[in-house]
Amino acid sequence: MILNMIKKQALLLFRNPMELLLLLGLPVILITILGNALGSLMDGGELDLTFKIAVVKHEAEAEQVERFKAGLEESGLPSSAINELLVTVENLQPVETFLEVLQSEELKDMIMLETVEPNRLDEIKNDESFAVIVEFPESFSYDFLSSMLLDEEPTPKALIHYKRGSEIAGNVVEQILTMYQEEFTVGAFLGKNGIDPEQLHQASTHFKQDVSSISPYHPVTAKAYYTIGMVVMNVLFLAATMANYAFQERNIHIFDRMILANISRWTYFVSVLLSGLLFALLQSLFVFAFAYFFFGVKWPDFAAFFVITVFFALAVGGISVLLTAISFKNGNEQITGFFSGIVVTIFAFLGGSFFPVGEGSFLQKLGNFTPNGAAMSAYLSIMRGEAITANLDHLVFIACFAFGAILIGAITFPKRGASS
Amino acid sequence: MTLDSSHPLDARLNWSHGGGNMIELIDITKKYKQTEAVKNFSMYIGRGEIVGLLGPNGAGKSTVISILSSLIEPTSGDVKFLNESIIKNPQPLRKIIGIVPQEIALYEDLSAEENMKFFGRIYHLKGAVLQKKIDEVLQQIGLMDRKKDLVKTFSGGMKRRLNIGVAMLHDPEILVMDEPTVGIDPQSRNYILQTVKRLNEERGMTVLYTSHYMEEVEYLCDRIYIMDQGNLIASGSKEEIKQILASENTILLKADYWNDEFLEKLQGIPQVQQMQVDEKEVTLVVSKEINIFSEVAHLADETNIQLRSVHIKQVTLEDVFLHLTGRALRD
Ligand SMILES: Nc1ncnc2c1ncn2[C@@H]1O[C@H](COP(=O)(O)OP(=O)(O)OP(=O)(O)O)[C@@H](O)[C@H]1O
Ligand SMILES: [Mg+2]
Repeated sequence: MILNMIKKQALLLFRNPMELLLLLGLPVILITILGNALGSLMDGGELDLTFKIAVVKHEAEAEQVERFKAGLEESGLPSSAINELLVTVENLQPVETFLEVLQSEELKDMIMLETVEPNRLDEIKNDESFAVIVEFPESFSYDFLSSMLLDEEPTPKALIHYKRGSEIAGNVVEQILTMYQEEFTVGAFLGKNGIDPEQLHQASTHFKQDVSSISPYHPVTAKAYYTIGMVVMNVLFLAATMANYAFQERNIHIFDRMILANISRWTYFVSVLLSGLLFALLQSLFVFAFAYFFFGVKWPDFAAFFVITVFFALAVGGISVLLTAISFKNGNEQITGFFSGIVVTIFAFLGGSFFPVGEGSFLQKLGNFTPNGAAMSAYLSIMRGEAITANLDHLVFIACFAFGAILIGAITFPKRGASS
Repeated sequence: MTLDSSHPLDARLNWSHGGGNMIELIDITKKYKQTEAVKNFSMYIGRGEIVGLLGPNGAGKSTVISILSSLIEPTSGDVKFLNESIIKNPQPLRKIIGIVPQEIALYEDLSAEENMKFFGRIYHLKGAVLQKKIDEVLQQIGLMDRKKDLVKTFSGGMKRRLNIGVAMLHDPEILVMDEPTVGIDPQSRNYILQTVKRLNEERGMTVLYTSHYMEEVEYLCDRIYIMDQGNLIASGSKEEIKQILASENTILLKADYWNDEFLEKLQGIPQVQQMQVDEKEVTLVVSKEINIFSEVAHLADETNIQLRSVHIKQVTLEDVFLHLTGRALRD
């Protein structure tokens, strides 16, 4: 009987190309976009898009630094403070550091950097071959140091011009700029507080490690990261889809027909659970298989991967029956709309589907209390080469979540009639 | 419409002596938070009968059907199938009852045949037996040539027919149909009515037929229950129900306009029991014993009303309903 129900459900899904596109096509599209656009920041060489950047300095940085130092000597600050700041300044050359970042190991495959004299600015603005022009105005470094170290106004601004069609490149450069500015702030803060300014460099590498190589094991590529992120997010939508189908059956009295055929409501309940589980499993496997063939996302330990997938699919089955039970009970579908409209987004955000939340951060701990976040953590760990046994906590959480959802669903599911 | 209302009642099988009542509703009440959908309603259905349940929108017909078929529990009262209450033990009834819901309870994205396969299987039919049954029912409802098409490509009438077909796969002894002909073309409607009649005549299928079309019920049914606002307001055979109006005449007056004075005086005639006023028509229910024509003509003269016609109508169930409730069955 349950097999009959699942078969019917499969037929209905296959007759609904829109549904299929959303469930299978959307994650694939999202992985492609996110993996490409944000991937450059995470693993450098992954992006096959290379572009030319011109950097225009309106005033030499060394001169500005000297000017700042001279100013310091005459500032009337205590000499110990001045000495400390002087040491810090040695390592704080914002433009130079930015250029170093652009030419770093991670980015040099992607970015072709050219320093251009200010008098050629108009010329290169019309040169189609430059995707991005970064302009550092006069006194940029001086103002930067003043605002960073002495809290003086104004905060300097670099100008970023990007050509039409080069938004991604422009975006990447902007993000690099923001990112290294943040590092500078940290570094300067550490320097001001008498901590070895060498920290600055570590802070910068630390930042990148957060993203692309989370542990001493294999680094996780952007494509792999977003494959996992998009699968665990999009599979949640399947639960809403299953609940929608079930509610529809109730609404047009197909459920009544089943009851009249002496089908136990628990048979129906279990069929929703198993359909949710099975289709979540198929959906995950489909997207992972796609990622395997087209993005080269390979799993070091297939059995471990499969176990996590089954656990997560069970949780999705649990959510399916929970949503079904509540919508049957209430006689409307608001709960399902709320789930797919709001809960999935929050879960996906907390679980790290959109961007990596820092290892060990509060957000990540919170994210591990969502089924998708726990599954994602487990997947990432497996991907890095850790063993399934290192992820028992996540698996136990997912299983508890699934059984909790099933239990609450069973309690809520109307025991007589269709609704009341 | 080719409904032949003078069709002899030979279809009426031996319900009165064929082993008693199949289904009995005893003093059923169903209360919802806002409304009392059914109030102290009783009815019985004998084997082989076609029973009509008639009433306007919101009368409580669908609620009665849901209670009768064990889908919802009554607030009070009992439902018996072969003298056993179904409220605690609905399984035996469910095996022999086929319900045609008011809604199209089908999968639009499956074909007619796939729907029938699915619903046949939930009755534990399978393989060749199921296939044979499906073909037989498709033949009966005239959808054999469309069986491979998705339901969503069907016309309203075809969907209605399939909705009925799906309820017949497990060979029910009693078919309960909730307004099976709403919103469809006359051909489909006739087809359905004739199918019901044939099933009853050829196989002795018991039918409960719900409608707010008087003429359907008059054509099909042996006995009729009339509901309004949750109450049973009349029951019996067609003849018995029309007898309610035996001592009365329904008179139809036509004119281009009415005035208040005329209508007031008309109402004032003691023998006028019911009066319904439309723009150019007034329907009166009056006691039979007096000749009201001269009085009406006199009144019209007095109040300057130009009567176009005055005539006595044949009694219909519609009139009975008007008589009992003071309202028309449909607007
Ligand atoms: N689940 C429910 N909750 C609250 N009120 C209900 C419910 N079901 C029916 N009712 C009310 O009970 C009354 C009878 O409804 P029912 O559907 O039985 O009428 P009906 O005779 O079948 O009407 P129609 O010809 O429109 O199908 C209506 O006033 C309706 O609003
Ligand atoms: Mg109804």
